[in-house]
Amino acid sequence: MSIDYRFGSLALSGLLAFATLARAEGKQDEKKDEPRSLVIYADHVFTGAGSNYDGGMVTTSGRKIGLVSPNRAGGDDAGKPELRCFAITPGLIDASVRITPGLVSVEQSNEVNPAMRVAESLDPYANAWDAQVSNGVTTVLVNPLDQNVIGGLGVVLKTAGPESIAARTVKADAVLRGAMGQQASQGNHAAFGRPTDFYSRRPTTRMAVEWEWRKAFYDAAASTRDATRKFSGSEQLVAALKGDLTVGIQAWATQDIRTAVFLKEEIEREEEFKNGLNKPRFFIDAAAEAWKEPQLLVRARVPVVLPPFPAAGRTRENAFMAWNTAELLRKEGIPFALSSHGLPGAESTLAMQAGYAMRGGLPFEDALAAVTLTPARLLGVADRVGTIETGKDADLCLWNGMPFEPSSRIIGVVVDGVLRVDRLAPEKNK
Amino acid sequence: MVIVAMALCAPLLAPFSPSNTPAVAAPVLGVPTSVAAPLDAGSVAIRADAIWLGDGRVVEKGTLLLSDGRIADVGTNVSVPSGTQVIELKGTITAGLIALHGYSGAPNEMVDGTRPSMPESKLRFAFDPSHYDFEDARKSGITTIVLTPPAEGVAPGITAVVKTAGGTMLSDAAHLSLVFTADGLVSNRKPTSIAGAMAMMEEMFAQPRGSVALAAEGKLPCLFETTTKPDIQRAIDFAGRHKLTGAIHGAALAGELAESIHDAKLSVIVPVIEIGKERRALVSVAELAKKDVRFGFGLDSPWNHPSELRLGAAMCVREGLDSAKAWSALTSDAARIAGVDARVGRIDRGLDADVVLWSGNPLDLGSRIVAVYVDGVRVVGGDR
Repeated sequence: MSIDYRFGSLALSGLLAFATLARAEGKQDEKKDEPRSLVIYADHVFTGAGSNYDGGMVTTSGRKIGLVSPNRAGGDDAGKPELRCFAITPGLIDASVRITPGLVSVEQSNEVNPAMRVAESLDPYANAWDAQVSNGVTTVLVNPLDQNVIGGLGVVLKTAGPESIAARTVKADAVLRGAMGQQASQGNHAAFGRPTDFYSRRPTTRMAVEWEWRKAFYDAAASTRDATRKFSGSEQLVAALKGDLTVGIQAWATQDIRTAVFLKEEIEREEEFKNGLNKPRFFIDAAAEAWKEPQLLVRARVPVVLPPFPAAGRTRENAFMAWNTAELLRKEGIPFALSSHGLPGAESTLAMQAGYAMRGGLPFEDALAAVTLTPARLLGVADRVGTIETGKDADLCLWNGMPFEPSSRIIGVVVDGVLRVDRLAPEKNK
Repeated sequence: MVIVAMALCAPLLAPFSPSNTPAVAAPVLGVPTSVAAPLDAGSVAIRADAIWLGDGRVVEKGTLLLSDGRIADVGTNVSVPSGTQVIELKGTITAGLIALHGYSGAPNEMVDGTRPSMPESKLRFAFDPSHYDFEDARKSGITTIVLTPPAEGVAPGITAVVKTAGGTMLSDAAHLSLVFTADGLVSNRKPTSIAGAMAMMEEMFAQPRGSVALAAEGKLPCLFETTTKPDIQRAIDFAGRHKLTGAIHGAALAGELAESIHDAKLSVIVPVIEIGKERRALVSVAELAKKDVRFGFGLDSPWNHPSELRLGAAMCVREGLDSAKAWSALTSDAARIAGVDARVGRIDRGLDADVVLWSGNPLDLGSRIVAVYVDGVRVVGGDR
């Protein structure tokens, strides 16, 4: 199977027109970001919105999806380039992509930095974006690194488009990001025995990491009653307590997952957070051991993002995750997204994570949802991305075989109506 | 007469008079051997094959009259008062070069690492006007340097524009330096992150005081310190949010964002172009000119030798930069970026008598410097 450009009935004139267009595009580089209307025929259309079609058609109109049709009627639009593929799915969404420019994105002078924006540190020219779009990922959540207890604000971005973070942003300040567990306390030290610096003040244990979280929320609640108690970041913490800003917490191991859940339940329960401050929305990222106490997550209504499947079972922070973890969560009724953590290598892509989840028993439709609609909902961007529906962003992933199968390739990726990955030529050469 | 003047003023010039004086007699033809430079800012007339005025115009076979430290006249029909010393130059006269970014004369005096934000600290108090760095600069034809704080912290200080002779201060507050590069971060002092630095800068401009207020009101241009293209994008966004003017320094590939920089009405200070710089950086400079972005060259002396200023501009010409544009980047456009164009950067009546006498086309690296005048005083070349 391959993508195939074809043209309307007037093949020759169509070809000439296209050649002229292509030449004009070559001349004016700025046109490369301009969407052209596409007509895509697929043997299988997986919309991710509940309906699948065998032998269907998807068209794009500008940056949005135009028609989604179970047949090819109306597809004979002369001049519009046609793409052909075996299967089409929505562009994939990775809610834990971990593309950050290293430690210069980490504000180490404080353990709690709710007002810091990771978007300030991102490089739209980085090669990492190309790698993502090449693997079919069209939307990502980029978080601050987890060197702080609360690292700051994550941003939802498209992986391709104009070379500016602002222009690619789908949702700024999408998630308040922080961590439980070991990572946020690593590198800190007690004050004795060496000169006191700001690394001395920071937590050195899991227990103190949790205390920083709790203190931050209680202090923020106090700031709503007494304006003199406002501090840098209290605004974001209050938004999180009100449920206006989703909180994404990294917690790999079961003890850290339950700590995050208990924090949410404490906020919902305690007197200090009454008056509307008791509606926090949490999700847990890298929840490798979510399978151990799933009833806690159900009880607290906390969805999770799974880390990439580890080859030998053990993940970071010594958590354990098996091939059937995703399937277990589905059976328990816990909403979950899959993620790649942006790991390099063909075996670690988001599409492969969906394949691994299926290997562990997860049905295809659920695997698809875990890399499209579920992360879109977690990040509050489901009105724009996550499914193939008329009027949504034209983010599409074109496959030469069944999606997520290790033997299938992604042969085309459309982001905002622009064909950003086009593997037509190598396919032809085969 | 001239000899008398020399005798009177020699002690004043002593700090600026190098002992070795390159042979100047050959190019300066027709000058009696007894005629040395005037040692006060008296009058001198220089006839030259070409005088580059700095605005693109060239006077062929013209005369430049310097008097009392100023340019008294220039043209083909200049009346030279009787008794004025006349120098014949077989070569070209230009305005003195302007290095837009440097640390000359202030070793170890520009970074106060105790705090990230010192927007009121002034480079004018950092430098020693008699430092040998300035002598090096003069010998390369540089008559004006913008002293800048190194890009560390968030707001490390206010730039000063000084001449390379006599300690003349052209501007004691040219720009407020604002740091957008991660290279300015240190790991043991707040801020340690780009986001932290941006938050601190936003805080500073949320309640602007002093120089920050002047910058926010558009009365003090800013120097936006960058390294990468994303740094430039952040600087442009920040300038837009706070309606700031000024120049972006540091990112070698600024030209690849020339359009956005042009739209933001900002200028560019191209970082020094060392030998071995990638071609892409040189092409990027030509791109600035094509998109009509005003730019000049930084030098970061004394870390880089002052001769690299002219060398870098010449290398950009090789990669497509218009040579007239290259020259104005070294002189008139640089003066505008430094905010001192009413004093220096061009050859025009009334401007400071800061000129360089070259043995040929100044962009031809084979051309030598015959003499340099600052405020009408010959500080390089001749017998002095």
